[in-house]
Amino acid sequence: MKAALGYASVAFGAGAAVVGITALLAGLQLRDAFLLRFGRRCVYAVLIAALAAAGVMEWALISHDFSLRYVAENNSTGTPLLYTITGLWAALEGSILLWAVILGGYLTFVAAKFRKRDQDPLVAVALITGLAVALFFSALMLGPANPFRELSTAPFDGRGPNPLLQNHVLMAFHPPILYLGYVGFTVPFMFGIAALVTGRFGEGWLSDTRRTTLVAWGFLTLGIILGAWWSYEVLGWGGFWAWDPVENASFLPWLTATAFIHSVIVQERRGMLRVWNLSLVIATFCLTILGTFLTRSGVIDSVHAFTQSDIGPWLLTFFGVVAATGIGLVAWRGDKLRAPGRIDSAVSRESAFLMNNLLFAALAFVVLLGTVFPLIAEALRGSRLSVGEPYFDRMATPIGLALLFLMAAAPALPWRATSGEVVRNRLLVPAWIGGLTMLGAVILGARGLAEILAYGLGAFATAGIVRQFVLGIRGRRRALGESRAVALGRATRSNPRLYGGLVVHFGVVLIAVVLAASSAYGANRDVTLKKGESATVSGYTVTFLGSHTSRSSQKTTISADIKVEKGGRVLGTYAPAISTYPNSTEGIGTPSVHTGLVDDLYLTLVSSPGAQRAITLGVRVNPLIVWLWIGGGFMALGTILALAPRLRRRPRSIPSDDLAPRPLADADPDHREPDTHGPDEREPDHREPDHREGVPV
Amino acid sequence: MIKRWGAWIALALVVVVALTVVLWPNGSQSAAARAHDLETQFKCPECEGLSVADSQAPTSRAIRADIKRRIKAGQSDGQIRQAYVDTYGESILLTPQDSGVSLLVWILPIVVLALGATGIVLVLRRNRDEPHLHATEADERLVEREHRDG
Amino acid sequence: MKHPARIAALAVALVVIVFGVVLALNVGSDPQEDAKQSNLVGKAAPSFDLPNLAGGRVTLADIAGKSAIVNFWNHWCIPCQQEAPALESFYAEHKDDPDFAMIGIVRDDTTGDVKAYVKKRGVGWTIALDPSSVAALDFGTRGQPETYAISPSGVVAAAKYGPMSTTELERFLAAARANA
Repeated sequence: MKAALGYASVAFGAGAAVVGITALLAGLQLRDAFLLRFGRRCVYAVLIAALAAAGVMEWALISHDFSLRYVAENNSTGTPLLYTITGLWAALEGSILLWAVILGGYLTFVAAKFRKRDQDPLVAVALITGLAVALFFSALMLGPANPFRELSTAPFDGRGPNPLLQNHVLMAFHPPILYLGYVGFTVPFMFGIAALVTGRFGEGWLSDTRRTTLVAWGFLTLGIILGAWWSYEVLGWGGFWAWDPVENASFLPWLTATAFIHSVIVQERRGMLRVWNLSLVIATFCLTILGTFLTRSGVIDSVHAFTQSDIGPWLLTFFGVVAATGIGLVAWRGDKLRAPGRIDSAVSRESAFLMNNLLFAALAFVVLLGTVFPLIAEALRGSRLSVGEPYFDRMATPIGLALLFLMAAAPALPWRATSGEVVRNRLLVPAWIGGLTMLGAVILGARGLAEILAYGLGAFATAGIVRQFVLGIRGRRRALGESRAVALGRATRSNPRLYGGLVVHFGVVLIAVVLAASSAYGANRDVTLKKGESATVSGYTVTFLGSHTSRSSQKTTISADIKVEKGGRVLGTYAPAISTYPNSTEGIGTPSVHTGLVDDLYLTLVSSPGAQRAITLGVRVNPLIVWLWIGGGFMALGTILALAPRLRRRPRSIPSDDLAPRPLADADPDHREPDTHGPDEREPDHREPDHREGVPV
Repeated sequence: MIKRWGAWIALALVVVVALTVVLWPNGSQSAAARAHDLETQFKCPECEGLSVADSQAPTSRAIRADIKRRIKAGQSDGQIRQAYVDTYGESILLTPQDSGVSLLVWILPIVVLALGATGIVLVLRRNRDEPHLHATEADERLVEREHRDG
Repeated sequence: MKHPARIAALAVALVVIVFGVVLALNVGSDPQEDAKQSNLVGKAAPSFDLPNLAGGRVTLADIAGKSAIVNFWNHWCIPCQQEAPALESFYAEHKDDPDFAMIGIVRDDTTGDVKAYVKKRGVGWTIALDPSSVAALDFGTRGQPETYAISPSGVVAAAKYGPMSTTELERFLAAARANA
């Protein structure tokens, strides 16, 4: 009964999408207000259908209904409640269902936000595009990826989820947060297509979707960081990023989305790069589909690879259709989009953003090429080769360092043009801080070229960030006499995008420093210990106290108690373990980590006590890892800040949420429109005494 | 001139000193460092995507021991790599070699980067060559409307 | 340049099409299966020189001129235990054939455990010990159990990673013979 209910919900959602698309198309053709409104409301039905289907699935999981194949394969009576609930996204079909739910959510948000604008063709076409995507995912669930497929005879007990998916609470967070990012990029894509189709090329679509894009980007960033954390804390190999195809699949849209977030600022300010931005938005969405194809179709070897299914050709076809539509629209309309603005000088914020985009695009190309190259090589010469970490590290490092440099230098560049002198003066102190940091690192013993460049550029960038904050505070104190704390608060709230961006950049600097250090330092040794024996690695002393076995309905775990000491002080007892699950022959290792500010001690149980009662313990010392998570925290914080509404100094006669197309009379040069201009540095600049030599400010 | 550039010249010297220290050839790597380098280049045959350096699988540990043995026996990095390629096939190397089809994976990104950089330079140059016209009030308003909604 | 956006779009379209074709061709493949194919099939078997349980040595020369099955295993790996009955009945079938040889090479195991296992199950074929996995690496093994068929002329005729059935063992033997 549940299967029929679930399948019917999915079918209802597909039907609602079809009805919605038809109504909107007809409404556009006939200019019928009722049809347009009705079509918009169909979006709500799509969300309800998806929620209903997900609800039925959760019901089936929690009640251990093994007549459903998905439940039999991903759940068992011994599975704890948390992992029963997360079983919704533990395998292919369920993850498509999760995608449908989140997509329904985003579409509903769009439909609700634009309810006063549903007569606008831009909104209508955007909704049509969004509903078409929803229709595709519903079709997947009605066809090859049906989560509600039944078994002819229900087994007594299910197989349970993959062991790796039921031994850490992160399973509840990482996939949904990642999807909130991934799926969110459908929204700017919808509006980009709508802008191309309707010929409304101005910045209207940008401001309409700016916040949603940033929210999606923030979630994707957080999802990737959580994935790295999972890799580190759960998988047990001691690293956090392996350039695995699935990791790359999430990284690719992040790269193009980051490029978009930056180049959008240029479009808002100067009206330039329109075609490029539309292409980026389409590419980002295409990459989410391509990434899903790569990880779901089984064409590429990966730790994350889901069971192979027939879904591959569908996803590839959809990718082809989306790419063809996007490229076709750009080819058709692209040349009419030529911007009125010009780049005046090579030393300007615009050209810095161009460089930024070039580097991100190049990095995305490298990651994409490396991920699919094994397939290309096989097509060209028959035998497969591997492309792994050494390749990606070698290619990504110079690009990453160049991006660090831009991050440091670009905020000091004004828009349009400037004298080299102004830039030099602004950058002198931060550059010196960077140079001295480099020298200091070398004096302290660092010998890697990329490493010291990362430290130096990171310090350079941080000094630049601090400088921006100082200028902002100083400007307000001089003009308004506020105290430092109040000035800081008001400065950030009057320009949240700038300061939020700076906080995100600081998080990136922290991550870059960790990447640099982890490649150069760290220890990795296997030690064999009998009970009571100790070993010392990099200053940490580990002593094997004893092992014990625990059994539960979910798994059997052998863990070893290890006493950890450093510098004579006892840090605690840690217990790396190996667990075996009833339906799997391999043991799943669980590492035990002592986290410190300077480094982590990472313990794994390589082999359980054998005949000699000795264990083999993997001991790794990983430098600075905690700063990765702290850096991720800063990135999240900065994103939240950037999303905050601006504190206005003057009351506006036009409320900022009114998005109706403005008649020309409103184009008052004194009225700053909410998101189309970023005043950022203009005030502090005028107050800088060093802006021009000898000229009174 | 020195006054304007002095601070920057001094900074450049500091950076050059740091770089020189780092890049100064300091003799061959220790055997342990060589072993670790090689280990990061081989893929663990029984895992999915991990390198021999990172994996705890029995085959990986056997390969790590074998690499140390070969280094001790005096084999060069190239010889060790070739021995493994002969036995396991090219897919055991995590970095494509620089010959044949594999060359593409190294060259294409550089080509793309060069194309992109050229494009940007051309755009900058073209903009500089175009004359800056003076716009009238009516022109400004027209531009503003184009901005808003095409 | 007229219509730069159009030209760029078409260039991108071309790349995407090539890319899509490559991906489409690969949709049916399974890289994990591919990865398990041995690289040595058709090449000369690597030579080895290992101690056996009785205290003597076992070398490649010992199976020269015979059709041989070489099986890498150890006593604790579960698929090895699964294929043990098939190996035993296969050996019983062919042990009297003078042109047949079978060697089991043990890796990642202790001599004491191996001896006990061999005695308990009455393993009849030659068992060689490879504690440092030298032969295992020379043969390009990916784990255990892994089985190779070697022709009388010393060429690897077939290889498989995973537990064997008697049918597969027979096929291996036939392949070794055919490759003479």
